[in-house]
Parts: sequence; structure tokens; C-alpha cells
Amino acid sequence: MNWTNIQLIWFRELRDQLRDRRTMFTIAVLPLLLYPMMGMAFLRVTQFLQEHPSQILLLGADRLPPSPPLVVDGQLASPVCPENEAALLRLTVQDRHTDRETIESVQDFATAAIARGDYDAVIWFPEDFARRLNAFRRQVDRIEDSDSKENELGKIQVPSPHLFANLADDKSRIAHDRIERILRRWQDQVVREILLSHELPEAVIRPFALRSRDVSDEPFRRAAVWSKVLPFVVLIWALTGAFYPAIDLCAGEKERGTLETLLCSPALRSEIVWGKLLTVTTFSAVTALLNLFSLVLTGILLFGRLMAMEAGLDVGAPPMSSILWLTLALLPISALFSALALAVAAFARSSKEGQYYLMPLLLLTLPLMILSLLPAAELNPGSSVIPVTGLMLWLRALIENDYASALRYALPVFGVTAACAWLSVRWAVRQFEDESVLFRESEQFGLGLWVQHLIRDRGNTPSIAESLACGFIILIATFFGSLYVQPAADWAGLSRVIVATQIGLVAAPALIMTVVLTRRPAQVLLLQRPRWSTVPAAVLLAVCLHPTVVLVAQQIQAMYPLSDEVIRAMQPLADALRQAPWWQVVLVIALAPAVCEELAFRGFVLSGLRHLGSTTAALVISSLFFAVTHGMLQQSLSAFGVGLVLGLIAVRTGNLFPCIAYHLAHNSLTVLLGRVSSEPDSLPGWATWVLHPSGNVDLEVGYTTPALVASVILSALLLTWFHRLPYERSAEETLKQRIAAHRK
Amino acid sequence: MIHVRDLSKHYADLKLGQVQALAEVSFDADAGQVFGLLGPNGAGKTTALRILATMLRPTAGVATVNGYDVVTQAPAVRRQIGVVSGGTAVYDRMTAWELVEHFGRLHGMQREALRQRMESLFDRLQIRPFRDVLGAKMSTGMKQKVSIARALIHDPPVLIFDEATSGLDVLVARALLKTIAELREQGKCIVFSTHIMREAERLCDQIAIIHGGRILAAGTLPSLRQMHGEQDLEELFFRLIA
Repeated sequence: MNWTNIQLIWFRELRDQLRDRRTMFTIAVLPLLLYPMMGMAFLRVTQFLQEHPSQILLLGADRLPPSPPLVVDGQLASPVCPENEAALLRLTVQDRHTDRETIESVQDFATAAIARGDYDAVIWFPEDFARRLNAFRRQVDRIEDSDSKENELGKIQVPSPHLFANLADDKSRIAHDRIERILRRWQDQVVREILLSHELPEAVIRPFALRSRDVSDEPFRRAAVWSKVLPFVVLIWALTGAFYPAIDLCAGEKERGTLETLLCSPALRSEIVWGKLLTVTTFSAVTALLNLFSLVLTGILLFGRLMAMEAGLDVGAPPMSSILWLTLALLPISALFSALALAVAAFARSSKEGQYYLMPLLLLTLPLMILSLLPAAELNPGSSVIPVTGLMLWLRALIENDYASALRYALPVFGVTAACAWLSVRWAVRQFEDESVLFRESEQFGLGLWVQHLIRDRGNTPSIAESLACGFIILIATFFGSLYVQPAADWAGLSRVIVATQIGLVAAPALIMTVVLTRRPAQVLLLQRPRWSTVPAAVLLAVCLHPTVVLVAQQIQAMYPLSDEVIRAMQPLADALRQAPWWQVVLVIALAPAVCEELAFRGFVLSGLRHLGSTTAALVISSLFFAVTHGMLQQSLSAFGVGLVLGLIAVRTGNLFPCIAYHLAHNSLTVLLGRVSSEPDSLPGWATWVLHPSGNVDLEVGYTTPALVASVILSALLLTWFHRLPYERSAEETLKQRIAAHRK
Repeated sequence: MIHVRDLSKHYADLKLGQVQALAEVSFDADAGQVFGLLGPNGAGKTTALRILATMLRPTAGVATVNGYDVVTQAPAVRRQIGVVSGGTAVYDRMTAWELVEHFGRLHGMQREALRQRMESLFDRLQIRPFRDVLGAKMSTGMKQKVSIARALIHDPPVLIFDEATSGLDVLVARALLKTIAELREQGKCIVFSTHIMREAERLCDQIAIIHGGRILAAGTLPSLRQMHGEQDLEELFFRLIA
């Protein structure tokens, strides 16, 4: 790549965007106006909320006891309702709303009155309230025998006053909360009077007071709030700031017809992408920065004012150090979002279409951002490697001055972010190299036409889109299948569920799509006669690699421990596996997935993905599908690695049988090790060379260190052997090889 | 300069199925010649020229430009060519000067040499009066002149004009054809696609009549007339595609 070309394209695009008023408005003007205007609106709304009094109707005033007083001269009595609270209440007092009052008639009356907006809440004291309350007091006075007190008092039921409010309506809910607070105070006074009549101090019901003290310093308390708000705002704007330039630079150029001139220039496609990427990244970063500065400035002024007004908000101005950290972290964030936006926008034929395509990107990213805002979210080995979430938590740690955590997790957070950004850039470059993306034209679309096209124009092997569709169909089918099927209580039920899922939801979609959408099913599913040596070699590799896979799985489990709920939910499965005959376990847990999953993922999905022209990309994507079908994150991570090995075997041998053999051997070893774990004492003497009690609760038997070392060495040798096998390249892979040969 | 052998291109269309945009097309074009691709809309002219310009990859066959393979040596091919098409637009938010300068820089030209070349081209193509006008404010004729300047800035040995006169008024089209003739005199190899018989008759040294992705006839205009016993190119064209 030529840096001068990248720089030329970058600066040209920058100048182009700076001359575009729409972009300038979104990037520069909007952030500068948005937060001050939001601040103004907030102040107005706060004032409105503070000054808005609640309309309360009190029904049954004549049933109130004279002491302690709740209402005096049509107003709430001052001991239960301080002046500042009274100012927020407009009380209307009525004795009754009709001559024949029942709870139902009052509820109908209150519902209608609140719906009309006459009142925000209605409080009703039922018939006999005062009389029954007095009876209750007298009864308390009469009963001297403490043993019979509870029984005697239980006979007198004081009717409950009812508070009617529409809790779905904010105004009504606020009124409910205000009046409820006052009624509770009045209730306390009733209790206090009863206690005093028996010469008992109030401390009888509250022998001690619970006091809470906030030990945080004020700056840290402030930082805790801003550490959630600021990274979220910066990330959202980094994403939004990348959207419009990305659409304009890709779809916009296609629309205006200027992309062809650039494609005919000596700039490589990768140089074009990097030039455009730097432009989008610049605008993304500047948008986020301007928003950050505007928000912080508004925050300092607004919260300063609110604190001066004693508005009861415990939020101060954002810490200045947050600006420094967020600015530093902005480059990788913007680069990641810009690369993603560019790759997606490249697919669009017009700016309008680009907006449709970028919306799913926002919907995918938002949950990752929100994940970091959850109360339980914290920076740990597991969360640090989740894209976007890890970065937000890392920023939160920095803003909260938790530098030790930030330093500890800096490498995984930035490693994952950089890897994601790099993959996104590769994707964007690929989009710019794909003529079907660059020169896509509008064509008539109809469901019938499309189905006809799929069958009529089917190729020898599936297309990339068909492979991806198959992968997603399997994922969605297994997801809904897992929700629909009830967990089986015994081994017979469990085995039926597993086999039905594998055949019906994993193998069937791949087989149907192979028959309907391709011309050479045997070539698609790699079902030719295998080279004899590859099958035993695959079994040997599965055996040799198993200790390493188990170790990796244990490390993953240490990083992302299973919750107690999951362990409890898995217990019946573990029990059923232990009780079932071992050959049935191998048949159901090892053989069925080995055949079905290999047909789907190394057969149909991988065959189509080979049209990408990159074996690595095909392996990674097919392994991702394979991994995600494993449901639990912990299983998925190790399944991804196994999927890569299986993919390598499939590509290098051009045959599915070695893959099935590897998968069968791997699964068999896993279930057999699980069974041995339940009876570690039954291990024969020779087995102690390979296996030993691991001390792990879930897997009580592990591999010994010599077995692990031998595993790594032998696996490396076998993988090298597979890697050196001559193999048949797809047309796209051959072309890529020819181009690479010419570059050299 | 340009050698095309058995070039084919097909793609899948939802309605039509597998569309053969080009079927085993072969031709040669030499330096100092204008090679005309004459055909109706959808004949495969643009597909062939886009393959020569390395924007599309052929499904089969080989094409070389000045000795470089269009698939495996695409960046080298792009240094040898200048492309002007009827659909090529100019950047709305760049002036004529900025645009041509940008592409000159992409071709690795030094500042002073680039400036001199731009002065000369802007005079020759009469762009100077609107050199500081933004693309959005230019007329179609102005845009096409700027596109030609952009294609010529690095003085490429091969020029590709794909329906370059479409949408131009008579005066500008005439000036464009004059420019192409001058370029031929300078020894450039020019591939010129059109569906206008008059342009092909007037300008092309070699003509290939293309229809449905196949070359139906190829040769010099006199040889085509003699071969098919038809003096009028338009009649000859209709007879071939009928």
C-alpha cells in the first residue's frame, strides 16, 4: 500500500465533506446546540415539575377521628404535612360522593374523576372508620393480659382507607406518592397516641434507628454517575458520526457516478478503503469530541445552577480527567465503528438504502453499550474481551480513578477492539473488491422470481449468501427448538430430543438446501471416497488434541464461570448421562452431532463460503456458526477452536469422512472422560500416566502435564501434516493466488 | 497495445437467469488507432470496457493492456489507461482544477510537472474559464471536458471512451471527437464505444460490431463494406444484428 495515495484520498474526502452543509450540521453545529438546548429544556421541565401541585380529593372527612387530626379547616394538619409539602397539594374535602357508598361505587367514581383530570388521586375513608378505630383503642386499654391481647385485638377490624390513583400516569403517580407519605405519618401519630395512653415511649416500636452513611468522597460520587453517562454518549456519537460520512463516501459516490473514476485510478482498493476509513474516523472522532465538550460544558453550568438552587440532585459537574481518558480512547472506538459503517455502506446502492443498512448496525451495537450500564456489570477477564462493552467498562474504571483495573485490562480491551477494527477493515476492503457489490443494479424483485432464480440458476456448490442463510436458519431453528422443547427428565427423553434436534434442525436444513439449491450434492457435502490415511490421522489428531482442548475449556470456564442456576439446570442431564449405557451415550452425544453438524457446517456452509476466495475467512465464519449453535458461551468458545481444526481438515482433505471421524472421536472422549470423572477410583493403574484427579468440581479428572505436553507436540505435527496435503482450491482462491504471485 | 482473447462474462439475473454479457470476444487494438465498439444498448460494450479498465473481472478469457493482464496485474493496467464514460460524473464539491490535480497526484506526478501539464491541458480543452467552478455548477459539456482532462493528466498510452458523447450537445460532441482524433495522431491507442454510426464512420480505424455479447463482424470500415457488400454502415449494422 502507498501511504501517499491513502493520504491524498483522505484529504480529498475530508475537503469534500467539509464543503457539505448537511455533514457540517450533524458534526459541528448539532452537538454545540443540542446540549445547551437540552439543559434549557431540563431546567424548564424541572421547574414545571416542582411547581405543579397535585389535586387530591378526600372522601369521608366526617369519618375521620378527631385525634390525631388529619384535616384541619379543610387543609392537611401541619404535624403530618409540613409547609413545603402542603404547597404541592390542593386538597378538596367531601364527606361522601353519594348516599350509598360501597368500595365499588367509590372506585368507579374515583376512576372517572382521575380520567377526567378533576383529581390526581382520591383518598377514601370508609363507613365506621373513626368508630372502629376508637373501638380498637378502647380494646387496647381494656386488655391487660398480654397473652390474650393479640386474640382480642384481632377481633376488631379497622376498615382500611383506600387510595385511588392511576399509576400509569405520571401526575397521578406523583400525587399518590405525596399523599401516601402524609398518610403514613398520620398512621404513625395514631400509634404514638396509643402508646402514650399506656405511658409507653415511642421507642417501643422503634428501639433503634437505622442510619446510613455514604463513605464516598464527593468527587468519586460525581464520577460514578458521569462514568456511565459519558462513555455512552461518546460511543453513541462516535457511531452516529461515522454513519453519514460512510454513506456519503460509499453509497453517495455510487449514486453520483464518481466511484468509477476512483476505481480506474492507480489507487489500490485497499488504499481507497483506508483513505475513506480515515475520513470517516476523523468525522466520527470529531463528532464524539464536540458532543463530549458540549455535554461537559453544559453539565458544569447546569448542575452548578441546580446545586445552587438546592434541587436535591447529588450530581455535580463531570470530572475533567474524564475528558482526557475519553479523548484517548476515542481513536480505537471511532476506527472500529467507522470500519463497520464503511463496510455496510459499501453494499448500498444509494444513500437512502445506506440508511436502511446501517440501522441494524446501531441495533446490534446498542445492546453491547447497554450491557455495560447494568448494575452488575464490572470490568473482569470475561467482560474485558466483549467488544464495545469491555471498552465502556474500561473507560468507566478510568473515570472512577480505578487505574489498577484499567491497567490490568488495557491489553485485552484494546486487543479485542483492534482485532474487531482490523476485521471490519478487511471486510470493507473485500466489499470494494467485489464487483457484485460495487456495480449492483436495481432489478425487479418478486418472491416467485427469486425462488425461480434460486432453482434455475443453481451452481455446483452453494453461493456465499446461500451458505450464510443456511447458517442462520440452523441458528434460529435450534434457538426456537431449545425454547419449545421441554427439558427431558430421563435418558430416553433426552436422547430423543438430541437426535431429533440434530437431524431435524441441523442436518435437514443443510441437506434440503443442498438438494434444492446445488447441482452436485456429493461435491457440496464432500462425500467423495476419502484418502485412506486421512481418516485414522483425523482420529489420532482428535485424541492428541483432546488434552489441549480440555485445558482451554477449563480456562474458559474459569474466565466465565457457570452460574448456579445453569449448574442446577444441567444437573439432570449430567445424571442422565451417568446412568445411561456408555454405547448409547456415544451414539447419541458423539455420533449424531458428528454426522449432522459436519454435513451442515463443514459440508454446505463451508463449501459455499469457499467462494469468498479466502480459506481463512471461510474457516472463521463457518466455525462461528458451529460455535454459536452450542448455546452456552463457554461451550461456544471452545467449539470455535474445534470448528477451525475441523474446517482445516475439510479443506485440506476435501472430504467429510475425516471430519466426522475427528468429531466422533472428540465427542466420545469428552463424554467418556465425564463418566470417568464420576468414578475416579475406577481408573486402571496405567491410566494414571494420562489422567489424574484435577480437583475441578465439574470435571474431577484431568490430563497430566506429560500428557498435555505430548498433546501439544503431536497435535502440531499432525496439523502440519494436514496443512501440507495438496488440496483443490475454489476458482476464487486460485484467482487470489495468481494475483498474489504477480504482486511478488 | 490491447489484446483480448475469448473474453466472456456472465452474471446471474433474477428474471433472466444466467446472462451472457460477453461471449468469447476477441479483438486487438494498436497504438495510433481508434478501435470502435459499435453496438446497441445492452450489447456488451460497457462490460468489455469495464473489464479492460479492471473494474470487472472476466468469467473466462484473457485481456492485456500494454502487456499487463487485466486480472492479475490490475494496478499496472490502471496506470496505462485513461477512462472517460458517458456516466462518469465529476465531484460536486470540487473545482475542475482540484479534481484534475487530485488524479494527477494519484498517478504520482510531481507538483511542478503536474501544474505544467494541467496548464497545457486546460488551455487545449478550453477549461480555463471555469477552472474554479465547483462540479455541481458545471454543465454537462463542462463536466465531460473535465473528465477528459482527468483521463489525460498522466498522459496514458491507452484511452477508453465509453459512450463518451452521450448526452452532449452537437458542439461539444464534435469538439470531443476532434480531441480523440488529435490523440490518435499523438500515437495513443483508443478504444471508443458508441451506438452512433456516424461517429464510428468518422473516427474509427477498426470497427467491431457487437450485439448480444458477441462480436458479429470486425475490421476496417472498407473491409467490412467489402465483406458484406454494403456501403452504408447503418444498413450493414441492421443486417448483422437482425
